[in-house]
Amino acid sequence: MTTWIDASCILIVFFSLSILATYRIVGMIQIYALQSFVLSLMPLFLHAGNVSSRDIVLSLGTMVLKAGVVPFILFWAIRRISMRSEIKPIIGLGSSIVCGALLVAGAFWVSMSLRIPGKAAADLGLPCSLAVLLLGFMIMVTRTRAVTQVLGYLIIENGIFLFALSLFDSMPTLIEMGILLDIFVAVFIMAIVLNHINEEFEQGPDPEKQVKPREVF
Amino acid sequence: MITTILIHWLLTLLFAPFFIGVITKVKAVIAGKIGPSLFQSYYDLARLSQKRSVYSSGVTWVFRLAPMIVLAAVLMVSLMIPIGIFKAPVQFAGDILVLVYLFALVRFFMIAGSLDTGFSMEGMGASREAFFSCLTEVTLFMNLLALGLLAHSISLSEMIGANYPVSWNLVGPSMLLIVASLFIVLLAENCRIPIDDPDTHLELTMIHEVMLLEHSGVDLAFMMYASAIKFLIFSSILVPIIIPVKSLDPFINLAIYLGGMTGLAVLVGCVETSMARLRLDRVRHLLLISFALAFFGLIVTWWRA
Repeated sequence: MTTWIDASCILIVFFSLSILATYRIVGMIQIYALQSFVLSLMPLFLHAGNVSSRDIVLSLGTMVLKAGVVPFILFWAIRRISMRSEIKPIIGLGSSIVCGALLVAGAFWVSMSLRIPGKAAADLGLPCSLAVLLLGFMIMVTRTRAVTQVLGYLIIENGIFLFALSLFDSMPTLIEMGILLDIFVAVFIMAIVLNHINEEFEQGPDPEKQVKPREVF
Repeated sequence: MITTILIHWLLTLLFAPFFIGVITKVKAVIAGKIGPSLFQSYYDLARLSQKRSVYSSGVTWVFRLAPMIVLAAVLMVSLMIPIGIFKAPVQFAGDILVLVYLFALVRFFMIAGSLDTGFSMEGMGASREAFFSCLTEVTLFMNLLALGLLAHSISLSEMIGANYPVSWNLVGPSMLLIVASLFIVLLAENCRIPIDDPDTHLELTMIHEVMLLEHSGVDLAFMMYASAIKFLIFSSILVPIIIPVKSLDPFINLAIYLGGMTGLAVLVGCVETSMARLRLDRVRHLLLISFALAFFGLIVTWWRA
């Protein structure tokens, strides 16, 4: 069972990394849905295979909410305001990926000194959740579009959920906090649709109008 | 010693073009065509080796030397790879460094040879090859380091011959990362579709093929043989990692190895038919993703070690 937990943790971090390398919002939402799906399977692997009804409820709830409803609302929002699908990163995709890899390393380095009592030293839950958190922050900071920032926020939320799951026995309130954050995100998305934040939050000089040197191969 | 080396080379030379044939066949079958025979690459090599090489008047000895060095270096690398039940004749601690640098030598002479022709398209292909191989080389190193951590050895034979049935359970997740990253490296190094199209001769997009344009006859056969052997080498590294099954009967082992190799070739063929070539400036993103995978795999391996 720990193999499955580890594999899910690693897949979740990998999906966050691949969101960093995606250049279309639709692709980002699809990867987010996949990540949430893997995340929602995690409660079933906890407790060494003894699946209780509470685990199933948690798993199903997460699956419906995060892998179903939220991506659906995001897709609907994109269609509704006929948004262009390109992301506008502040730093290039290549450097994003390298920074992401460094952030993952940082997360593991920090977790070395963060030992949680009752958890094995080789447990991947804590470092992976920190990595997902940091990657989510990075997506929020380096992508300027409103929807991509919501996605970054959702990824941070997945990181928090993973963190809560790795401590599931001792702190169930964290899970509730996660669900509350989900509701907040739903409101956030609604705000985007209602206020038609089609592009960016601030109205600075349009970056597209500045002439950038084209990449030449 | 000499006989084992000769047997190893014989096997390498015998099997290498077959898997290229498998890929071509799979691509044709999925596209609904009958396709060339599985042994078409052998016929091609035989045909080419009967022809005389043609050299333009502008080329120097670098261009003439390049195919020989490329084939020789690749054959040297093949000595460090176990093929099926046959152990690698050359194995020592740190042979992964020699392996990576022999591949670098191959690339250097390919690039030097193609620049020597003075053909502008070749220069373009050479620059792309140099850029992309920079990225794959780092990734390959990362993966080999992670494998070395897992196997507690820096000799390639012990890494890919290590006792993985136990390891898949213990370190399965990081193996997943390593395998995925090595697969992308395999596609990139062998110029397969998401990175490079081996069939196209459109100068603006091709990377590897453009460097072969000026070669002809025996030289071209050498180059094609070298790339076939390169594919064999990379899949021989990957297959024992993916299928770590070992039995006492050598024939079953051989069957597992050959089946795994054919399966990998079929997988590459499926990837080639199901994906389009990436836009040239997005190739590096894929390669960086494979780097991130390898880096992450290394971190996780180190974390679990």
